[in-house]
Amino acid sequence: MVQFFSKSEGHPRMKSGGLFAIGVMLLYAILFALCPEKTLLALKASIKVAVSLGAPLLLVSVVLFLANCFIRPAQVGTLLGSHVGVRGILFALFAGILSAGPIFAWYPLLKELKQQGAGEATIAVFLYNRAVKPFLLPVMVTYYGWHYVVVLTVLMLLGSIVLGYIVQLLALSRRNA
Amino acid sequence: MKVAIPSEGPSLKSSISRRLGTGVYFFLADLEAEILECVECPFSEGNQSLGVQAVVFILGHDVDVLLTGYCSPAIRGHLENNGVKVYSGLSGSVGELLEEYKRGRLEKGQAQGQDKVALGKGVGWTNIKNAALRTRRQISSMLPIMAGVVLLVGLFNGFVSKEFVASVFSGNVILDTFLGAWVGSVFAGNPINSYVIGGELLKQGVSLFAVTAFMLTWSTVGLVQLPAEMSALGQRFAILRNVVCFVLSFPIAMATVFILNRFFDGSP
Repeated sequence: MVQFFSKSEGHPRMKSGGLFAIGVMLLYAILFALCPEKTLLALKASIKVAVSLGAPLLLVSVVLFLANCFIRPAQVGTLLGSHVGVRGILFALFAGILSAGPIFAWYPLLKELKQQGAGEATIAVFLYNRAVKPFLLPVMVTYYGWHYVVVLTVLMLLGSIVLGYIVQLLALSRRNA
Repeated sequence: MKVAIPSEGPSLKSSISRRLGTGVYFFLADLEAEILECVECPFSEGNQSLGVQAVVFILGHDVDVLLTGYCSPAIRGHLENNGVKVYSGLSGSVGELLEEYKRGRLEKGQAQGQDKVALGKGVGWTNIKNAALRTRRQISSMLPIMAGVVLLVGLFNGFVSKEFVASVFSGNVILDTFLGAWVGSVFAGNPINSYVIGGELLKQGVSLFAVTAFMLTWSTVGLVQLPAEMSALGQRFAILRNVVCFVLSFPIAMATVFILNRFFDGSP
């Protein structure tokens, strides 16, 4: 999947993730000292959740790998910045779905595209569709089932177009005011 | 002749940065003097875009040729106007690319920088290797936070009773959806974590309205990153986008549950 890495989003991000995990482990240690039985139950529940996530995560890795083989960041940038109107919105929609990585890493590109004339609606649609992640679907399906995932995904895609329309309307009314 | 290559690591085997300005290191090769140095990227997060900071860095080091991944047309323009020849849209290791450049194997077309690569083309061994490395990095960057979330979910199951959860979520569709949307807006991160947390909340008896709104706002509304979004895209746009996304989570959550109940078997 397309991912823009930056100095601040690479190693430090991993460090903060690690610190978070260590913090939770420390919490476990404290709670174990205070209430060992409940903490052991909590640990067992965590292991159960982790085991249930194993197969979907494996599938996620395979899909991610395939996406990384076939999609390049340049393509997403091209999709996002080179079209206007309905086509622009549709391209932004696809670019949002294909994009990955922390949002902070995308801000410089979006800022630049905005300065080059990309519409606010396009950027809003792109940002909304970052929430639609086909490569994470195996995990979502494990918890919610296919019906739910399909319905929610379709509604989110429609919602992103509504968002783009609202943003566009408000931008136009501001210009006319 | 000085060649600059933004890189994701300090070794010649490291991959070239996929986008100018986002690499962690810069290799600077003086081909006449046969000096190769690797410097850590001095860029910092700030109001100025990373691309602009990269331009300043490159011009400040009297670079003649830049080999890079994606480079925007605006940044390319700045560099070429200052006499820097830009080869963009490249992928592979720093060492390989430098060697290719020295042997004159980088094509002129790449120098003109049309970074378009058709889907499915160019999936050679190097690309497969890079894709595997990227995948490993993406998964490993997800794992520590996911591990923490899974452990927290265990604590939630062990220490928070269903009665307590039921008392927080009143059963009122509007209030529960609002609460779910609000909690999702405050937290942020990889959507996968919201799926796990939402799934466990569902098992605790929280309504699907609230869980759906929670997952929607988790990934579309970002109170934590609002300052960064305002700085990059403008205050008015950032606030408007977040507010509209928050409001949209209500009809989408309700429509999702309604459609599931009406046309399928109901709740997951």
